[in-house]
Amino acid sequence: MVSDPPDERAREAPAALMRTRWSPVTQRTIGSNIRRLTFVIAIAFLVTSIGVGYWSLVAASDLNADPFNPRLIAAVRDRPRGKIVDTSGRVLADSVKDGDAYRRRYADRSLAQVVGYASFKYGASGAEAAYQESLIGKDPSDLLGQWKARYLGERTEPGSVVLGLDPKVQQAAVAALAGRRGAIVALDPKTGRILASVSLPSYDANALVDPQQQDTAWQQLNDAKDRPLINRVAQGLYPPGSTMKIVTAAAALESGFDPNQKIRVDDPYQADKSWGDYFVRSASGSHGDFDMSLAFQRSENIYFARLGLTVGSQKLADMAKKFGIGHAPALDLPAAKGQLANGGAIDRPTLLADTSYGQGELLTSPLQMAMVAATVGNHGVQVQPHYATEIRDPSGGILRIVGGGAGDQIISATNATRLTTYLVQAVEAPGAFAFGARIPGVHVAGKTGTAETPSGSPHGWFVGFAPAEDPQVAVAVIIENAGQGGVDAAPLGAAVIRAVLGK
Amino acid sequence: MIRARPVARLAELRLLVWVAAFSVAGYVAVVAAASGRFAWYEVAVPLAVLAIFGALHLFLVSVGFQGDQLLMPLALGLTSIGFILVERLAPTLLLQQLSWLVIAAGAFCGTILIPRDLSVLARFKYTWAFLGMLLLVSPLLPVIGREINGARIWVGLPGIAQFEPWELVKVALVIFFAAYLDEYREVLSTPPRRFGPIPVPPIPYLLPIVAMWLVAMLVMVFEKDLGATLLFFGIFLAMLYLATGEPFYVLIGLVMLAGGGFIAYHAFNHVAARIDVWLAPFDSDLRFDQAYQLTQGLFSLANAGILGAGLGNGMPERIPVVWSDFVFAAFTEEVGFVGALALLAFYLVFVYRGMLIALRAPTTLLQLVAAGLSFIIAFQTLVIVAGNSKLIPLTGITLPFVAYGGSSLVTNFVLCALLLRVSDITARVRR
Repeated sequence: MVSDPPDERAREAPAALMRTRWSPVTQRTIGSNIRRLTFVIAIAFLVTSIGVGYWSLVAASDLNADPFNPRLIAAVRDRPRGKIVDTSGRVLADSVKDGDAYRRRYADRSLAQVVGYASFKYGASGAEAAYQESLIGKDPSDLLGQWKARYLGERTEPGSVVLGLDPKVQQAAVAALAGRRGAIVALDPKTGRILASVSLPSYDANALVDPQQQDTAWQQLNDAKDRPLINRVAQGLYPPGSTMKIVTAAAALESGFDPNQKIRVDDPYQADKSWGDYFVRSASGSHGDFDMSLAFQRSENIYFARLGLTVGSQKLADMAKKFGIGHAPALDLPAAKGQLANGGAIDRPTLLADTSYGQGELLTSPLQMAMVAATVGNHGVQVQPHYATEIRDPSGGILRIVGGGAGDQIISATNATRLTTYLVQAVEAPGAFAFGARIPGVHVAGKTGTAETPSGSPHGWFVGFAPAEDPQVAVAVIIENAGQGGVDAAPLGAAVIRAVLGK
Repeated sequence: MIRARPVARLAELRLLVWVAAFSVAGYVAVVAAASGRFAWYEVAVPLAVLAIFGALHLFLVSVGFQGDQLLMPLALGLTSIGFILVERLAPTLLLQQLSWLVIAAGAFCGTILIPRDLSVLARFKYTWAFLGMLLLVSPLLPVIGREINGARIWVGLPGIAQFEPWELVKVALVIFFAAYLDEYREVLSTPPRRFGPIPVPPIPYLLPIVAMWLVAMLVMVFEKDLGATLLFFGIFLAMLYLATGEPFYVLIGLVMLAGGGFIAYHAFNHVAARIDVWLAPFDSDLRFDQAYQLTQGLFSLANAGILGAGLGNGMPERIPVVWSDFVFAAFTEEVGFVGALALLAFYLVFVYRGMLIALRAPTTLLQLVAAGLSFIIAFQTLVIVAGNSKLIPLTGITLPFVAYGGSSLVTNFVLCALLLRVSDITARVRR
């Protein structure tokens, strides 16, 4: 540090100042550049502030309710969450003390995807996510509790969530599908209550809430090729195969097609030469005249392909859409929407033919196909499916009921009755493909399906309902890469129906 | 040069009292919310920080410094917010951060004293450029270079200290550009030929500048650091514009950056991953993997609301490496949108003050240096805050003065001291 004498002030000014380059003109130019840059910076600050405001004010309510937001779960880590139980009162999920926090405990591995998990690290899934607020004592219908939590800082005791699952049906479904990959769903066609839901492979949700295991478990479950975290019932998408023929027949009947009218079947079939080397094949190499009843019994692809071509792509697409194919069911848990065709529309005759018997580019979930069966069984009225049935307060009183809407008339009751007749014949008639679903003393309506898949042997389907005249249960079974397709699936459907009917 | 006769700096002192007041208040709020036992250093460190602030003020007073009185309280206010957040998010790092503050304060005083009229900066511009380049590639050297969190931008000795050299490089870069452009700006801003509206600058003068662009791209490739690349490029374009006032240079630069970015997106996984995460952080494949940090940061912002959860009452510790990359989101969660705006206002006033210093500076060299340094603060703040709020892809740039990290603290103090020096020179020339 130097103290300069005053007369040396000129030298003390920066050397650069003395250079010729400094002139008033250039300084003004730079000055305006600086001003403009500062202006741009100010605008950028404004835009950025708006961005911050968007997340902290506008998008906040969505993100704060996101099941993966750990705040919701951690907010109550020092208190137990509510229980999840089934209709018999069996506890499926509850909280146990672990150090100074509470940790979830899960009782039924077969319901892992339905009950889900609530992890401090990975957020929540399944019912744990869908009924998050109810499980932490902030159920939307509990206004008093909400008010107390907000203004008095008190939290109401969490209540419990009752799932409509019936343990004996669930058990039957688990036993039926054991050792396979696939899904079974059974629901009440009149109310939409899901009675059983199995998705295999499953997993142990307890590993995901154990601080010691959660990271490896999470990694493994996410890397697993057969995707155990997916609830195949509602999120698994498969070509529906011959179960789609119910929809094609419904479209034809609703457009006034006479089911007794014969359609000529000659294997292999093509509409005209423009199909080139493309043919629809009959599963049994048939030659002859088929009416709708016989076509259902033999699951005749060529009949339904020609039926679809007669009805036309618009009417078939409309009917599929009405039944719920291509949009997600209003389920209380996440559900996939599937698709009618890759581009959304059936845009060529060969695709129309393929779609009519359930191949083409169709993708549906087991739940969607179970709802097709349920709607036919319920005299054409479609109700919304739901896992939970009610939310209870801590003392067991009912806070609110889940589900139970009136339902929509999708097809006429007359046509629903006709379809039911054909579906019963598809199980009971001599030589019927779905013979495996027969139950003595009960009329079962059902349809098998064999869905071709690029990934090995075909998937086996069965959808149906019983008793046919007054159904108490509708069921869908899918076995991934089943050896013989639909023939394998039908007995599994029967086993579940028996459990419901007590036969 | 600087007179040894002390001067009163009352405005600065008054503002520092405010800084001390909110620093203490914030600290008490954090400790009260934690409501557990706390270590001795959690009391000692804030006191030491305030003592250092006071010492810096006394230092400026004692050397008779005539520079701006707002800049240092702003910088120290931001620094004290940084300390409050370290206490909040990672109290075990407090002592380390304090020792960096001591070094930073030393560097600050050194910068105030040493480069007597700053023309030394212009005279040795290629030396600065060379040193900058050396620092820049140093993380790639075997023994001392190291890779942390996927970016090879650190040098250090195991177990002793680590340093991010590029933090210092940015200051060297501004000085080099300022000196270079100061010398050649006439040639560059009035190019002999124009191709339609597009200026065609004399190629030889552009070469050093294109070379810098290449270096920035190479840094991205070899050190896997998007933040540094973006910052260098931003500095480069801003300086070019400041010197020439030619928006076409900026346009061409942006096109080159977009081109480089496009190639990098397709050629390098780490770049592609950043972009994918930015586009769809809530994608089910990404949200628990590469996008985990960003989604947790957004949850943090969402929890903010207008007034925030209150200091110590949010859950920002869920965000991985929150104390460096996501310190803004953490701060916002607990003090709300209002607090976030206040923090941004702090930066805006700092930048405004810096630009004012630039406007008043007596030579183009000093103007370019001051504007360039102010731009660094603005640009870093914008890039990381916009990254936190998903306006742009996230990069590992630090929030100046606030984010935990020694290299950044030291560099920003040097930067602040340089700005103060420019304003001091102006005050003396104007008299």
